Amino acid sequence: MLGTIIRKEIQENLFSYRFLVITLLTVVLVFTSLLVMYRDYQLRLENYELLRPTSSQPVAIIPPSPLSIFINGLDANLGRGYEIRFGGTIMVGSKQQSVNTLFRMFTTPDLLYVVKAVMALCALLFAFNAISGEKESGTIRLLLANRLGRTELLIGKWIGGFASLAVPFVLLVLVGTVLVTLSPQVQFGPDEWLRLSLLLAAALVYLAVFYSLGVCISALCRRSASALVISLFTWAVLVFVIPNLGNIFARQLVEVPSVQSLEIRRQVIWIKEIFEFIHGQTRSREEIQKRMATINSENDRLIADYRGLFNSLVDKTKEISRISPAAAYTFLATDLAGTGLLEERRAKQAVLEYKNLVWDKPTDSSGKIEGDFSAFSYQRSSLREIMAQGGLINLAILLLFNTIAFSAAYVAFLRYDVR
Amino acid sequence: MLTTIIFKEIHDNILNLRFIVGFILCVLLTLSCVMILTHDYRQEVKDYGTRISQVDDFLGKYAHRNRLYPLILPQKPPDAFRPLMVGIPRDADLGSFDDNPLPAIFPPLDLMFIVTIIMSLLAILFSYDAVSGERESGTLKLISSNSVSRASILVGKWVGGTISLLIPFLFSVLAGGLYIAIQPDLPWDTSAWLSFVMLVLASVTFISVFYLLGLFVSAVTRSAAVSILSSIFLWVLLVLVLPNLSPFLAAQLKRIPSVNKVNREVFHLTQEERDEVGRKLSQQVRDKYQKQYGKPFEDYLALAENEIRARVSADPQLMAMHESFRKEVDQAWEEANRIQGEKARKIQEDLKLKAESQTRLARQLACLSPYADYAFTATDISGTGMRSLRYFEGITEEYSGVLWDYLQKKEVAAKARDPLFDENSFIDLGDRPRFEYREEPLRARLKGVLPYWGVLLVFNCIFFAGAFVAFIRYDVR
Repeated sequence: MLGTIIRKEIQENLFSYRFLVITLLTVVLVFTSLLVMYRDYQLRLENYELLRPTSSQPVAIIPPSPLSIFINGLDANLGRGYEIRFGGTIMVGSKQQSVNTLFRMFTTPDLLYVVKAVMALCALLFAFNAISGEKESGTIRLLLANRLGRTELLIGKWIGGFASLAVPFVLLVLVGTVLVTLSPQVQFGPDEWLRLSLLLAAALVYLAVFYSLGVCISALCRRSASALVISLFTWAVLVFVIPNLGNIFARQLVEVPSVQSLEIRRQVIWIKEIFEFIHGQTRSREEIQKRMATINSENDRLIADYRGLFNSLVDKTKEISRISPAAAYTFLATDLAGTGLLEERRAKQAVLEYKNLVWDKPTDSSGKIEGDFSAFSYQRSSLREIMAQGGLINLAILLLFNTIAFSAAYVAFLRYDVR
Repeated sequence: MLTTIIFKEIHDNILNLRFIVGFILCVLLTLSCVMILTHDYRQEVKDYGTRISQVDDFLGKYAHRNRLYPLILPQKPPDAFRPLMVGIPRDADLGSFDDNPLPAIFPPLDLMFIVTIIMSLLAILFSYDAVSGERESGTLKLISSNSVSRASILVGKWVGGTISLLIPFLFSVLAGGLYIAIQPDLPWDTSAWLSFVMLVLASVTFISVFYLLGLFVSAVTRSAAVSILSSIFLWVLLVLVLPNLSPFLAAQLKRIPSVNKVNREVFHLTQEERDEVGRKLSQQVRDKYQKQYGKPFEDYLALAENEIRARVSADPQLMAMHESFRKEVDQAWEEANRIQGEKARKIQEDLKLKAESQTRLARQLACLSPYADYAFTATDISGTGMRSLRYFEGITEEYSGVLWDYLQKKEVAAKARDPLFDENSFIDLGDRPRFEYREEPLRARLKGVLPYWGVLLVFNCIFFAGAFVAFIRYDVR
């Protein structure tokens, strides 16, 4: 019986206008997004090759990750070059995008965005009339007049409906991935494939939350027009309002100095030391080394203070915004792809360690340090680390949302008056 | 007759669930946004004050010509509109080690979001069944059987629908405005309130685009179920996809040289190579003096800075040599700076031109979406967008000119007082011309946004014309 219902649901969907529109949207979005982000990755890779340091350049730079084609996250931020200069000052290379302000006005249209915003909307559009619509057309009465339990009907509808959303999506992403990997610049090892499949699984878990939520709303409404209104606003709140408001709200709880003021303090530190050195009594080599050491340690203190505050801001933001599945999914996906906040924190730590390794070499007159430097090498966090540092929690949160949404849908459907 | 239709439409809408849900959501969101962002604005003002006094304190003790920039350059104070519009996040892309990565993951929530997502969705929800839904319920047949023209039905629907949409929007915006007005520390002057009115008008233009889009789709479809899906499909493309794609498309169509490479080259030219050229030129000066003065000059060179001071003030002859030598060395370095600066400017200029043409293309592509047109209009009117950044660059340059003249004079005066004065000596900048930020006048800002606002109006016209033609041909049965 369950099989029949699933089959009926899928068939009904396949011939609907809705399926056509949503699949078309998915095709357009998945392919343009992958194509655009692939070209962007190529640009970043070219840039990286140009900037690769020689052994006389104390520069820390991280190559772009091929997974950033799917989940762009902070990859452009991570891939800036960090040049270590006198007194351990770190000169940061600009992002290629920094010259075009439009990048800062709009969101990056990567697969994360497509899934988080558009596919979640599609899931709700698939589900909003699953129950209220059948009530309006009277078919649900007929169905339940047979020897068919409500549980079975709901599960059948859920599987059938979700399959018509998920199967085209998964197929399209797979085709897109295969096309992208045909390029010699994108080499996926077993680790990348594993991460990619986890990413896909996470996307499905996330979409399932929205599908269940849609069914739940449908089972709470008498008319599908009302279900649609409520679904759309729920979507806006969960996908945009909570994560984005959570971010600015967290700043009320943790006061972090602005980056501008940090930069000023940094300038102040080195200018003061140099000025005092020039006007000091001794101008020996030891003296300048001492001054450099002061600049380095002052900068270290500044960064340590700031990063402590900033990290607690990030943690607060995570805590607050995680009450939306969209935020939990964003954290999970960006971390899995190695382009998230976790990686950012780790990479900056690594750059600071690299700085400690090389900073006390002698400098030339322009402040460039000279010598032979060991290359900066950086491994993005392993899957195990990602999972241990928040990945599992985010996954658990998504699963919890699934359970809640589905049970709510189940209860609402059990109490539903099908007449 | 028209007024009857308008009133009927408003009446219908107001009693509907979508109106109530939209109203509550809009008011709650606007108020919470304004409150949180006001707090944020206060933090920024505080931070700005600390920054200014920090720089002042520092310059009072350590100011010297060689290392003044960028500390002495003006800083942009927090935007007065910050409680409503965040615009372009300030600390996300400063080229600092600590650039804030959060805005890249979660764009901030402000009035722009409320208008572009919540209000435009609500607009579509109001209009998607205006024609096709009334056909399905049969009321369209009844209305048309009276002596009322189709044109007035459509206009009545548009006006009535937009008015009922504006009730939640204006109510929440007014509530937000009232909250801002009662804050004693938010210095909104007449021009700010005028900009506020303009912002609301621009928002109304934008919301109306989506009402008409829904109406148009409704008039070309037979059933409400089809029209809602088609409307949302178009909405997703216009609001969520097109604007976000445009900068990436532009970056791939119009390539620019690697910014990092250019920066590195500039750094090399103006620092390392400059030093080389400068050393060579000043060596020539030294050789010249060596020939001219011989042994005394050699002795002079071997002295340390504080010894020179003592010896020079005692010996007028040495003083004359010292002064002319220092002057020529300074000139040599200036010449080196000029030569290398010229070279650097050329590559920077080239990059700037290319980057500008890429940005222009991205803007043009984005203009195809009403979302982007509204985003440009709203951020520029409120002084939180790209225009205000450019304007700030302009006045910074102007101020730098004033400052440069001042420094020049200061230096001449200091040298007259103390012949040993050089670019590493402390100068008192206490009486320097202070930077005072004045926002670009509203008139200029409005003139700048007219093209984008115009495109929004064109969208209105296109969708209205489309809806009109489709509705004239509509089979109401």
